[in-house]
Amino acid sequence: MAFDPVPDPKRTSPRTPKTLDDLVQARIDGKLSRRSMVEKALKLGIAAPVVSVMLHATGDMAFGAPTQRPEAALTLAQAATVKADQPTKPAGEAKQGGTVTCGTNEEPDTLHPWLTQLVTGTDVVVGIMESLMPYDSAEKFIPCLATEVSIGQDGKHYTFTLRDGVKFHNGDDFGPDDVIVAWKTITNPDFGAFNLSGWDKIADITVDGNKLTMTTTEVYAPFMSYVAPTSIIPKSVIPQPAPAAAAASPAAGATPAASTAFDDFKQTFGRSPIGTGPFKFKEWQAKQQIVLERFDGYWGTKPKLDQVIYRVVPDDNTQIVQLKTGEIQLAGSAGNIPVTRVDEVLAFPNITVLEFSSQAWSHIDLKQMDFLRMTKVRQALDFATPSAQIIDKLLKGRALPSIADQAPGTWAFDPSIQPRPYDLDQAKKLLAEAGLTAGADGTLEGKVPTKDGNVGDGEVKPFNLQLWYVSGSADTERIVQVIAQSWNQLGIKTEAKSQDVSTIWGPEGYQWTKDMTGCLYSWFNGNDPTDTFYWNSSQIPDSPTGSGGNAIAYFHHFTFQDKIDELTTKGDTVVDQDERKKIYAEIQALLHEEVPVIFISWAKSFSAVASNIGGYWPSAYTNLLWNVQDWYLT
Amino acid sequence: MVRYTVRRLIGAVPLLLGVAVLSFLFMHLAPGGPDALFARNARMTADQLAAIRHNMGLDQPGYVQLWRWVSNLARGDLGTSYSQYRPVSQVIWEVFPNTVLLMGSGLVIALVFSLVFGIAAARRPYGLFDNVTSFVSYFGLAMPVFWFGLMLQILFAVQLGWLPSAGMTSPQGGGPLDVARHLALPAFTIAIGSIAGWSRYIRSSTVEQLHQDYVRTARAKGVEENRVVVGHVLRNALIPFVTVVAIDVPLYLTGSVLTETVFSWPGMGRLFYDSLTVRDYPVLMGILILGAVLIVLGNLVADLVYGLLDPRISLS
Repeated sequence: MAFDPVPDPKRTSPRTPKTLDDLVQARIDGKLSRRSMVEKALKLGIAAPVVSVMLHATGDMAFGAPTQRPEAALTLAQAATVKADQPTKPAGEAKQGGTVTCGTNEEPDTLHPWLTQLVTGTDVVVGIMESLMPYDSAEKFIPCLATEVSIGQDGKHYTFTLRDGVKFHNGDDFGPDDVIVAWKTITNPDFGAFNLSGWDKIADITVDGNKLTMTTTEVYAPFMSYVAPTSIIPKSVIPQPAPAAAAASPAAGATPAASTAFDDFKQTFGRSPIGTGPFKFKEWQAKQQIVLERFDGYWGTKPKLDQVIYRVVPDDNTQIVQLKTGEIQLAGSAGNIPVTRVDEVLAFPNITVLEFSSQAWSHIDLKQMDFLRMTKVRQALDFATPSAQIIDKLLKGRALPSIADQAPGTWAFDPSIQPRPYDLDQAKKLLAEAGLTAGADGTLEGKVPTKDGNVGDGEVKPFNLQLWYVSGSADTERIVQVIAQSWNQLGIKTEAKSQDVSTIWGPEGYQWTKDMTGCLYSWFNGNDPTDTFYWNSSQIPDSPTGSGGNAIAYFHHFTFQDKIDELTTKGDTVVDQDERKKIYAEIQALLHEEVPVIFISWAKSFSAVASNIGGYWPSAYTNLLWNVQDWYLT
Repeated sequence: MVRYTVRRLIGAVPLLLGVAVLSFLFMHLAPGGPDALFARNARMTADQLAAIRHNMGLDQPGYVQLWRWVSNLARGDLGTSYSQYRPVSQVIWEVFPNTVLLMGSGLVIALVFSLVFGIAAARRPYGLFDNVTSFVSYFGLAMPVFWFGLMLQILFAVQLGWLPSAGMTSPQGGGPLDVARHLALPAFTIAIGSIAGWSRYIRSSTVEQLHQDYVRTARAKGVEENRVVVGHVLRNALIPFVTVVAIDVPLYLTGSVLTETVFSWPGMGRLFYDSLTVRDYPVLMGILILGAVLIVLGNLVADLVYGLLDPRISLS
């Protein structure tokens, strides 16, 4: 079958469709109701199984929205989202020149690549600055400032071959010293980089011609995923303080918040960045827009566009309006359109909606406290959480089921594990096995564990649970209500509670109270599958203001803590991918069995792009402007 | 009058100091903190977190932080933004003129329309015009800004295509005309709420004045009706109105989160909101102090204007 999946009600088609393709196209374009398509197909003598395939092709099965009246079908026509598995390729010749205006909801904090805390900052930075080897949208490292890398047998030597003839926007030549200065600056506590993962594992850097070798202090599997994509800044703009100052530890500083040699660099570079990228920074109008223009001295493929403009459009509604009016032509990455607006944008004639997986896993943290320490109780809560229905009904099928912490489609994901079905009987059985019985008012009660997390031997308590969530999203609120209602049916008194994000993660958050609490939110994985941060006992914060991702084990370790510690550490120290894959499969099986948190779904991302923009290829692994040199207009 | 002004300004110093201390305390009593998001960053080590806290000065006891902030403030230094790594004064100064432009235009529109509507309605109380404007006023007061703004966008930007939907300039930049085109919808949105309230206010105080003896005297001696209203009644009716406006203006100048967000206007309201979500204390406190200064100035200007409107009010 050959047809265009994008509906076009204006397409001319034969009045009486004669072939199967004609019929399918007419249905996609909204000119035919589902019933008349089936009737016509049968008249044409098409066998019933083929008709059912046609229904699939026209999206009737997926969306379940058959319409009887052709005129209604014109407005309700479901244009489909397009899978972003390759760069966009609009029909027509690529033009030289032009401007693409992107819209995002949040203004970058700074364009300093080593300081920005926001995705929106990195989205712009990667168009201006380059790294040794960034990821592409197929989750592969691609050559950039380094043409290749070889990793030593011992897993502690990374030798990069640096590219010759690369110039920074200020005219400086790129060379090995830029990488060395980057290492020294990022790891200098006076500088205060936002993250120095990987860089802090470097013991030494040696240079031999155009070969640069980083020696690490230990075998660290995620090393490449952190260090290779780090943006490189020309060394001439970085202050190089005397070694004595660099060695001073932060606690030894005599005056608090003393100004350091880096203050000016942090301030000015963040508002006027310089790199080797295909576009150079032109201007930043606060809270309005950032303008980039083509860098003619670029070493690689010469960019086709003249300018890329990054507009800040804080309101969702306004963003949609501007896509419609054409004031912005692209909404992606930090500016992805919300799942709930996808249908609306699909109806716009000159906009394509690209769909791709994300690294965000929505889940409910279950703090290790009282009954929540018991594996059977957590399994019961998982059985009583209607994740599949939430995905189908509330998220309109625009998310994927989740069984553990590795994203479907990544190499570390184990597809063999099935999610628990929604089964309240099973849940009740497990709760009874955990020693919980209904009290006077119907609320479950039982003995809380004291020593062994799985054995109830302490005082009798009612099962009251606070379910926290981040305020501000109506969708999240609905999901929490559905879950709370289901848990209440089991006799667990569940109270929903919303807070803003700074409160939830602050010392007044749900992690630090002595009550039983859960919290619905998403973690965002990096490109490496390492998950030490989420589960390892080394990541349990030492106080409510301490660092570390495993806050739910603050009061009590998991009953399977030793095992998960061993597995996550092994995952970080084995470099071979096949070996690692086995380790992460084991971790996923363990997480699914033990349910330390309830895995709900993997979000899908949706980017809207004008249909005449070519070369745009978004993914969960890359930031907005990662391949901006390939973008063009037709 | 100069002496009066100077005395008022000197009197404002302890007040501002009090505002500074209180806003600092409230800020630090709010749950969460500027480092809360850092602590849950997957790539943040304990040492790094300590270094960042140190750089922000958060590792010091509260009274040291307060003293440092107030003493810097006394020297005119508002500190450095936690999230943007730039001086707070620079961060605020970049957006303050945009807010003045938006709110100033909104105010002018609101003043003109509320005066015209208010007086016209007062001339024939409970007449057709009065009833229509009072209906429209209640509608204007009740309408949520985000909805009204969106409707304006759909009508003027999407359907008619006359005006840009949002922003302050076109992506490619443009002259004053370009800014004016972008200004029209948000300024009108800002004005609509005030027109509703203020025109009611002017109407009632005008109606009240129209029943005063001096109005009857003026009419009796044959003064033309328009001169009665504009020359005599309005002057007296404006005195209470000036107080209302003087309280509203500084609030306006600190920005409007909703209107600025709906129309992507780069102003103070959005700066405040964005800074609040990341608990950027230095920026927040800078804006609060600026707001307090504006309120003090607003009230001072109002008091001076009373004297101009009504010579019976002496300032000495």
